[in-house]
Amino acid sequence: MKNEKLRDLSFFLFPMVFMVVLFYLIPLVLTIYISFTGMRNWNVDKYLHQVVGFYNYERLIHMFRYDPTFKAVILTTIVFVLITLIINVFGGLGLALGTFFMSEKPASAFRLLWLLPRMSPIAVYSLVWYYFFHGSPIGTLNSILMKLGIINQPIPWGQIVPWGAWSVIIFVNGLVGVSFGMIVFTSALNQIPRELVVAARVDGASAWEISKKILLPLMKWHFLYVLTWQFLSLLTTYPHLFLLVEWDLVDRDYGTTLALYVFNTAFGRGEQDQGLAAAAAVILSILGIIGGFITLKVLQFEKMIKKPRGDL
Amino acid sequence: MKWKGILSMAVLVFAIVASGCIGGTQETKTEVSKVTLTGDFTKDIIEIGKILQENGINEVKFAAWGSGDPNSVMRVYGIVDAAYKINKIWEQNGIKVNITVTTKYDQSFKDQYQEFLSKQPLGQAGDFFVNSYAFLPTLAEEGYILDITEYAKAYQDVINDFYPNLLEAAKYKGKLYGLPQDTEARPLYVRKDVAKCAGLDVDTLPEKVKNGEFTWSDVYYWAKKAKDNDCSEWGLIHRKGSAHPDLIQFIFAFNGKLYNPDTGKLVLDVPAVYKWLYVEWKFAQDGLLPKDIMSWDWAKQIHPTIVEGRTLFDIGGTWYWTEWQTKQYYHGRGLKPEEVKEWFAYTLFPAGEKGDKPVTLSQPFIWMINSKAGQLNPKYEELKDVYHALAFLMVIKASDPEINAIHSVISAHLPVRKEAAKLIKDESWLNKLKNLDLDLAPEVKDNIKDIVEKTVNPINAQFLADVSYMLEYTHLAPAHPKYPALADIFKEAVDKVLRGDMTPEEAINFIEDKIKADKELADNVEIKGEIPKDWKFPQG
Repeated sequence: MKNEKLRDLSFFLFPMVFMVVLFYLIPLVLTIYISFTGMRNWNVDKYLHQVVGFYNYERLIHMFRYDPTFKAVILTTIVFVLITLIINVFGGLGLALGTFFMSEKPASAFRLLWLLPRMSPIAVYSLVWYYFFHGSPIGTLNSILMKLGIINQPIPWGQIVPWGAWSVIIFVNGLVGVSFGMIVFTSALNQIPRELVVAARVDGASAWEISKKILLPLMKWHFLYVLTWQFLSLLTTYPHLFLLVEWDLVDRDYGTTLALYVFNTAFGRGEQDQGLAAAAAVILSILGIIGGFITLKVLQFEKMIKKPRGDL
Repeated sequence: MKWKGILSMAVLVFAIVASGCIGGTQETKTEVSKVTLTGDFTKDIIEIGKILQENGINEVKFAAWGSGDPNSVMRVYGIVDAAYKINKIWEQNGIKVNITVTTKYDQSFKDQYQEFLSKQPLGQAGDFFVNSYAFLPTLAEEGYILDITEYAKAYQDVINDFYPNLLEAAKYKGKLYGLPQDTEARPLYVRKDVAKCAGLDVDTLPEKVKNGEFTWSDVYYWAKKAKDNDCSEWGLIHRKGSAHPDLIQFIFAFNGKLYNPDTGKLVLDVPAVYKWLYVEWKFAQDGLLPKDIMSWDWAKQIHPTIVEGRTLFDIGGTWYWTEWQTKQYYHGRGLKPEEVKEWFAYTLFPAGEKGDKPVTLSQPFIWMINSKAGQLNPKYEELKDVYHALAFLMVIKASDPEINAIHSVISAHLPVRKEAAKLIKDESWLNKLKNLDLDLAPEVKDNIKDIVEKTVNPINAQFLADVSYMLEYTHLAPAHPKYPALADIFKEAVDKVLRGDMTPEEAINFIEDKIKADKELADNVEIKGEIPKDWKFPQG
């Protein structure tokens, strides 16, 4: 009986286990291994067997300690992750609840609108905001404000440090991320039996009361999921930031998060240093694991995976 | 029953493998050949064609990767034309082999270099790669490009026609890794009408700059005068983004060094870099140079500001001359050659201060051959040497004086061969080019006809002739694997002093700290000298 159960479990779990091993475990092991080699310029044949011990970690720690711009990078990472996380999670929640109380057609159109940033290619999307926030009269925002007579001189939005640069990167990334929470929360709301909402309405509950007392408590686990996922995602995200910094729209130091810093340090120069990149990636992974673990612990994730009462 | 099935399967698999092996033996029985180049182009091409034909190869596929300003497309079409001419030789000699070339032309040469670096090991990079000489050492060190020293020996006559200093830029550790494709100078452009308004005599200016009599203090003086007299909005405009290569000229103009050949290390020449940063800081703080120039938009701000006469001076490149004619930077249209000539004067990059020398900086582009060139063609392993020799001959053909001269005229880059320099001065040849009455591949003619129409003009040819003397004053940025990282730090420092976030002194400390924070960079950079005390700018 036990063997049969194990066989059934193996059969159903095999594809997932296979995928996890292939796409997560092996790359992780490889990354850790590469971080101990002198790999650079993608020259696998030449460097893959050149083990250098903790040299890459030493270089990285040395850089972190003595680089004069590193303090800005740490501050930017903290502010960027925290504020964007709040926008993404609560913005997504607000949009999901807002559209929940609307009729279906306009609600769908409204949700689609918020999905546009995610559907646009990163370069195109970033280019739109590059011209919008450009710190000269060619910038759309400056041009509008100057035409309205609100300002006389163009404002270099992304170059006002730190809050100008932070505001631009948080705004651009927040717009992309908010749709993820919106989709998850909308899906969660659609699973909640309509009778509960109808009954509350009949009893005279307002939309706020319905949200607070019925909908939000039933969405706790979705909230936890979005929070954790977005936290890990923001910690490691860099493509939009990379372009905004590369195009000099935002200040280089206050527009660079830890993920972008290590990416640029490892890949952004004439010499591409995969060994150093791997060491940085390992450190980022450790930070992500610790952060993710704390989030799950604080929000009592274990309660969700507690065994149900009674036999299956 | 079960074991019978397994046995049948095993027999079947064995039979398939065995038949494959037998068939494979017959298939691989080919004429394995090596090519010895003779220096007679036609003869060598015919020999290679015959070998390919004997091995059953009818089509050879190559990919050419190039990058740069919009007018520099001959960097890839030179290879296309070489294929066309080789195909013609084969056709005339009854050899049924054809070369086809696909092209990839990008705007950013740095991005394309990064792409080449990551794709070469995967066998997905272009067979021909034209890019800055600055990347050649890394590519050679990693074994990503072909050492053509031996092939070149047979074509010494052609090699000897290249300017020697440019040929040096194609070498690494004494071996030749490519052939120069073009080079350029980076003049200081002066807007004539603004100069007239400010009272600056541009006719005698090039000579004064050449003699070191007109220094950066004079540039400051006239820039200020032009601005104060409302002759222009700005005194000086320069590049955005990177400090390499245009702004690096300041180091040489202040008699500084970037490289120590004795130790093979890069140099942070503190006095020269300090003076450079001070000049930038002073210009920006006095409103003569935009504080945010490093984040200006090339097409919407930098070029329009220059061509619309809103600045007296501009640090640019020779290729600006024709770029202004083909791109619509001037109120939505390109300039006519006559207008460029009438509106702009040009000089060397002035000396930093009295006693220093004027300079310019070149960044030769090099035709490089992927060390896996031809890899996507049949029987690559057996015929590797043949494909590589063919690729080399294609680069030789693409370096024909005529191709080099066309590239120079339409993109305002300087020729790399003496024969090409002669052609540019030949008016009848220029007329032929104007009418595209030259033996070029139809695909090449189609793709360059618009550029040719706008740029082939005696005025442009004269410009190239006029600026060619600048090569005598040229400097090359060091071809060192760590140089891009150092140039990156310079850019950051320039941006900070321009915006007024740092004084020049603070910026020097910042550069030193950044260098020391990167262990490998610190090992590769010598920090020399100190911030000069009581140094004043402008002087005199």
